[in-house]
Amino acid sequence: MPFFNHRNNLIHAAIAIVLSAINIYIVLSLEPPNLAQGIFGNIFYIHVPVAWTAFLLYLGVMISGVLFLTKKNKVWDHRGLAFAEVGTIFMFLVLTTGPIWAKPAWGIFWPWEPRLTTSLILFLIFLGYFMLREFGGNPEQVSRYAAVVGILAFLDVPLIFLSVKFWLPEMQSHPQVGQYFDSANPLPTYFLIFSFLSLLVVSSLMIRLRTNILSVKEAN
Amino acid sequence: MLIHFILKDLKIEWRSKEIITSMFIFGLSITLIFALAFQVAPMLIRTFAPGLLWVVILFTSVLGLNRLFSLEREEHAMWSWTSAPVDRGTVYISKVISALLFVLMSEILFIVPFFIFLNLPANFSFFQFALILFLGTGAIVSVGCLISGITLQAGLRDVLIPILLFPSASPVAIAATKCTGSLFDQKPMTEWNFWLLILGSFFVIFGMFGYLVFNRIVEE
Repeated sequence: MPFFNHRNNLIHAAIAIVLSAINIYIVLSLEPPNLAQGIFGNIFYIHVPVAWTAFLLYLGVMISGVLFLTKKNKVWDHRGLAFAEVGTIFMFLVLTTGPIWAKPAWGIFWPWEPRLTTSLILFLIFLGYFMLREFGGNPEQVSRYAAVVGILAFLDVPLIFLSVKFWLPEMQSHPQVGQYFDSANPLPTYFLIFSFLSLLVVSSLMIRLRTNILSVKEAN
Repeated sequence: MLIHFILKDLKIEWRSKEIITSMFIFGLSITLIFALAFQVAPMLIRTFAPGLLWVVILFTSVLGLNRLFSLEREEHAMWSWTSAPVDRGTVYISKVISALLFVLMSEILFIVPFFIFLNLPANFSFFQFALILFLGTGAIVSVGCLISGITLQAGLRDVLIPILLFPSASPVAIAATKCTGSLFDQKPMTEWNFWLLILGSFFVIFGMFGYLVFNRIVEE
């Protein structure tokens, strides 16, 4: 039965579309907090939640990898691959929106900001992950290898982040994040959380769809 | 059993001398290229030297690891230990120790020409330099042996090792360069022991991870 013929999946997709539309409307209609950055400053409401989602999805790759290696159930391999694919799409968005924000904020596209650099390194490890998936050879072995690389990549995150952070200690973290938050006005925090939730709904739909396709392929 | 595996690798290398010789000549060749390329700005060479040294070490390690694990593929040599009643984690530890010994030996050989060709003064603590080399190389080979194990039976293994190793080992490259740079600038160890901690943590975390998952990687 096709994925979208199932009522729950259709409802999931509808919620994802509505939430995304509201999210885009909010981000584009908000008054820019910083005149110098202009409308580009509003990319904060997309860039930060996309980054949170991407890291969460890569955590999903690690958890799926651990469960696949311990339980040896093929469904965890499919979930691991789906998490990796969707996570890499989100990581690509992080690496695209980051420089778009960095240019008006810092004056350069690539400022070696620790989180952005960690994202780039993780993204590169996952490109290797997909090469291994594609050209690794025997599919059964490749599933095990990919699970190990997925765990290795996430284990590397704290070390990459710490080393990049102290590599350039003078580099400030996110540019003027404080200006978005004001104790008297909690709205920006709510917008940020709403954006994150809408991205979680979209990414979970993508993962469910991809896992479904992989399971159908396996069954055939 | 561990000692038997290490002795086996050492004995093969003692007879053929192919791994250390190839790493040494390769390291020497890259050093020569660097020396020629940076003659444009000899004053800057001291600033770049720590980074260049670790680039040479990383490249030669890939060569050595590739060869060390390729030997297991020849005549299906790995069947002997995959069918033996031995914990594969022990095989991983033996490979880490063998690789560490081979890379350190080749480093001893090409570091002298590295200092001579690049006209670098050697006015620093040799003990501290040896400690940095040991921890940095250990960190590289701990994750390198894991990746070489993953790609042992994979297709495109020559390409996959550097593609997966370089981004994974980026914290090592940063930390080792920082340590070496501080040592060359004769800064007190208290100022850069954080970077030694990163190298040590990387070595221990990936050493333990490799030991735990090697059983799952190498299956008949």
